[in-house]
Amino acid sequence: MEGETVIRNKTDIAIRLAACRARRAVGRFSRSGFLSCVLAACLGVAGLPLAAWAQPAPDLGSDEQREAGRSLYMDKCAQCHGDAGQGDGVAAPFMRPMPRDFTAGVYKVRTTPSGQLPTDDDLARVIRDGMPYTGMPPWPQLSDDEIRNLVYYLKTFNADFSGPYGVPDLVEIPDPPSFSEASAERGRAVYEENQCFDCHGMAGRGDGPSAPTLQEQWGNHIRPADLTKRWTFIGGATRQDIYRTFTTGLDGSPMPSYSITPIEDSWALVDYVYSLSQDEPDYATAATARYAADPVDPAQGRAAFGAARGAYFPVVGQVIEPGRSFMPGVDGVEVKARYNADEIAILLAWNDMSAETTGENAPDMAVPPIEQVVRDTVASVWSDAVAIQFPQELAPEGLPYFLFGDAGQPVDLWFADLASGAGRSYVGRGSGNLIAGETAPSVHATYEDGEWTAVFAMPRDERFAEGAFVPIAFSVWDGFNDERGNRRGITGWYYLYIAPSERPSPVMPMLRAGGLTLLALLCIVGLMRFRRRTPVSA
Amino acid sequence: MNILILLAACAGLLALRFVPKMNILGWLVGWWAATFVFLRWGINPPLPTSIQGMFLAILTLALLAYISANSVHFRFVLDRAVAFATEKKYTVALAVTLVLLPCLVALRVYFDITEGPAPPLSSRTIHPPPPVSIEVAGRMIDLVNDDNPYRALETEDPAAFAEHVANGRRVYYENCVYCHGDDMAGDGLFAHGYDPIPANFQDATTIAMLQEGYIFWRIAKGGPGLPSESTPWLSAMPAWENFLTEEEMWDVTLFLYDFTGHRPRAREDHGGGGDGH
Repeated sequence: MEGETVIRNKTDIAIRLAACRARRAVGRFSRSGFLSCVLAACLGVAGLPLAAWAQPAPDLGSDEQREAGRSLYMDKCAQCHGDAGQGDGVAAPFMRPMPRDFTAGVYKVRTTPSGQLPTDDDLARVIRDGMPYTGMPPWPQLSDDEIRNLVYYLKTFNADFSGPYGVPDLVEIPDPPSFSEASAERGRAVYEENQCFDCHGMAGRGDGPSAPTLQEQWGNHIRPADLTKRWTFIGGATRQDIYRTFTTGLDGSPMPSYSITPIEDSWALVDYVYSLSQDEPDYATAATARYAADPVDPAQGRAAFGAARGAYFPVVGQVIEPGRSFMPGVDGVEVKARYNADEIAILLAWNDMSAETTGENAPDMAVPPIEQVVRDTVASVWSDAVAIQFPQELAPEGLPYFLFGDAGQPVDLWFADLASGAGRSYVGRGSGNLIAGETAPSVHATYEDGEWTAVFAMPRDERFAEGAFVPIAFSVWDGFNDERGNRRGITGWYYLYIAPSERPSPVMPMLRAGGLTLLALLCIVGLMRFRRRTPVSA
Repeated sequence: MNILILLAACAGLLALRFVPKMNILGWLVGWWAATFVFLRWGINPPLPTSIQGMFLAILTLALLAYISANSVHFRFVLDRAVAFATEKKYTVALAVTLVLLPCLVALRVYFDITEGPAPPLSSRTIHPPPPVSIEVAGRMIDLVNDDNPYRALETEDPAAFAEHVANGRRVYYENCVYCHGDDMAGDGLFAHGYDPIPANFQDATTIAMLQEGYIFWRIAKGGPGLPSESTPWLSAMPAWENFLTEEEMWDVTLFLYDFTGHRPRAREDHGGGGDGH
C-alpha cells in the first residue's frame, strides 16, 4: 500500500516520509521472522533480535467481531471515511484536515514509533475521544465492545495489520513529573533548539514561517497546531498527551517525531507548551466596555485596554447562506472595550496562521455557492478582514438576523479590510443588501507573532448608554482560506455591556443590611433574656 | 439533574435516622441542609440563585409550620432557642452568631452589588405551530394533509425506499452534519457557536414527537421562516429551499428517522399518536 502513496509536494514532509519508510524497512528486516533468525543463528552473528521468536500474533478479532465492526462502520463512519475506508466519504471534500484514508495504514495519534502502526488502544482512544475542532467527533456513546469491533474492522483496511508489523513496538510514555514554572522556562530554550517555531511560531500560535507551505501526505495544506489553544490539540491536551505527540510524531502530517534527551528536557518542552494556554477556552456571553476618561488612541493597541484577558467568543463557519464556509481559518475572537463621553473603542484580537495583507476584501463580495478550495499557491488573492455588527436600533421585538440583519431590522457594520487597514461602515438589511454607511470607524490593526489586533473607534451614540447591554456580533475573514463575502467565520449575537462610569459603593448597603440583621438578632435575644428574668406568672 | 447529588442528599437524611438521640432540631437542620445541597449542586443546568432562595424560603416556612403544628415539637424548639439566647454556657456561641450572621448578610449584599447585571435572557417557543401550507419552488405543499410522498415506499417498494434514504444520507452528511453532528445528537463541529443550539434528533422530544410535514417545513424555511415567538433571527437553521430540491428535503427527512430509529408521529386520522419505536 505504501508504494502507492503519492507525495505531491517537495517540502520537508517528503524527506521525512522517506525517512519514515527507511526506518520501517529496517524494522521489517529485524522482524522478518523465523528464517532470518535461523540464518542469523547459523551464521553465528550475535546481537540480532532473537525477540522475534517471542513475537505475539496480532489480535485481529473474530469474524463476528469484524462483521459487527463493519456494520457499525457503515452506519457511523463511512459518511466521511468512505465505504472502502479510503477517506473519500460524501462529507470528506468539505473537511480540513481530510478524513483519514485507512488503507494507507498511517495514523497520527500513536504510542508507537513514527512509521509504525498504532496499537488497538491507540485506535480505540481516537474513536472514543475524537479530534477536537476537526471533523472527527468523539464517540462516548459507543460501548467498549463496539469500539473494539470497529478497531478490528479498521485493521482489515490495511494488510500490514495482519502481517509481521501488526504488533508494533511501544514507546514508553512515562508518568509526568509535576509541572513547574522553572521547567517551563527551560522548555522555551528546548522549543527554540528544536526549531519548533519554524511551524508553530515564536509565540506558539501556529504561525511559523513554514506554516503556509505545510502539506500532509495526501498533498493538502495542513495547519500546525496553535499551541496557545490546548483544547484544540488533536492528540489530547494533558501533559502526557503533549509528550506523546512530539515523541511519536503525527504520522502522515508534517509533525515529525522528536527524541529529546535528557528526559528532563522533554518534560521541559511539555511544560513550556502547557504553559502557553489555559485549560479551556472559557467562551463568554458578554464583553464589558469600561469607562476611561482619557481619549482613545487606537494606535496604542492592546496597551490602552488593560492586561486582563478579554471576553472570548467562538467563531464558526458561515454555513447558513450560499457561499458556505465549512472550515474557517479562525476559531475564536477576543474582545475588549472602553468608552468615554464621546467615543467607544473596541479591540478585537484573534490568532491567524498568516497575515494576508495583499489583495482586497469586503463583506458583500460575491462567492460561488459551493466552492472547494484547493490551494496550490501561498500568495493570497483576498486579504484578511474583520467586522463588528450592532443592531441599528434596540427594538423590543427582538434582534435583527445575525447574518448582516434583515429588511425589518437593519444592522450597522463596522468593517476593516486589513490590507489597507482603513475602516468602512455598512448598513446591512441581509447579506444581499449592504449599503455604505455614513461614518467610517477609525481602525488601527497590527499583526504580531500570529495575532491580529484591530482597534475600532467610533463616536458614542445613544445605543451605548451606561448600563446598557448592546447586542454585538463579529465576522472574521481569513484571506489564506479564500474567505470573502459570505465565506467567512461568524459569531452569533452576544452582548457588549457598557459598565457604568460610576460604580455605586457597596459600603453603605452592606452596613445597612448587616446593621439591620444585628439589630433584629439583638431584639430577639434581648426579649428572651428580659422574659426569662421577669417571673412568668403561670 | 445530578442523580449522584440527589442520592447523596437522600442518603444523608437516611443516615440521620440512625443517629442516636436525634431531636427535632437536628431533623430541621438536616432537611434544610439536604435541600440546600440538592438545589445548589444537584440540578444541571444550575438554577438561578434567586430561584434557589425562593425554594429555600418556602422550605423554611414549611418547616416552621411543621414544628408549630405539634405543641411538643414547638415547645422543645422554643426551649432550645431560649436556652441558647439566655444560658451562660452558650454565651460565646451566641456572641459568635451575633457577629457572624450580620457579616454573612453584608457579604451577600457585597456580591450582589459587585457581580454586575446579567445579560438579558430571551425566551422562545421551541416547537411553534406550523403553517397550514407552504410554497416551495413555486409549488404549494399542504403540511396538514400531505404526507412524505416517499414514506409509502417503505412498505410498497423497499428497494426504492432504501435509495431515497441513501440519498437523504448523502444530503445530511454534505449539509447538516456541521451543526447537528455525526450521530445527530445536535453536537456538530459548529454547535458551540450557535444559540439556540442545534436540535438533537436522538432526543425523544424532537423528531419523534413531530410529523414529517413539520420537519419538512423546518428544513425548507429554516430560521427565517419561524414565527416571531420563536425568535426567528437567532436560529442558525438555513432555509434549505435555497440549496436543495424538494425531493432531497423529503429524503433527508426519511434519513433522520431511519438513522435514529425514531418513527414520525402518526396522524390523528390514521388512528394513533405518540412516538412508536
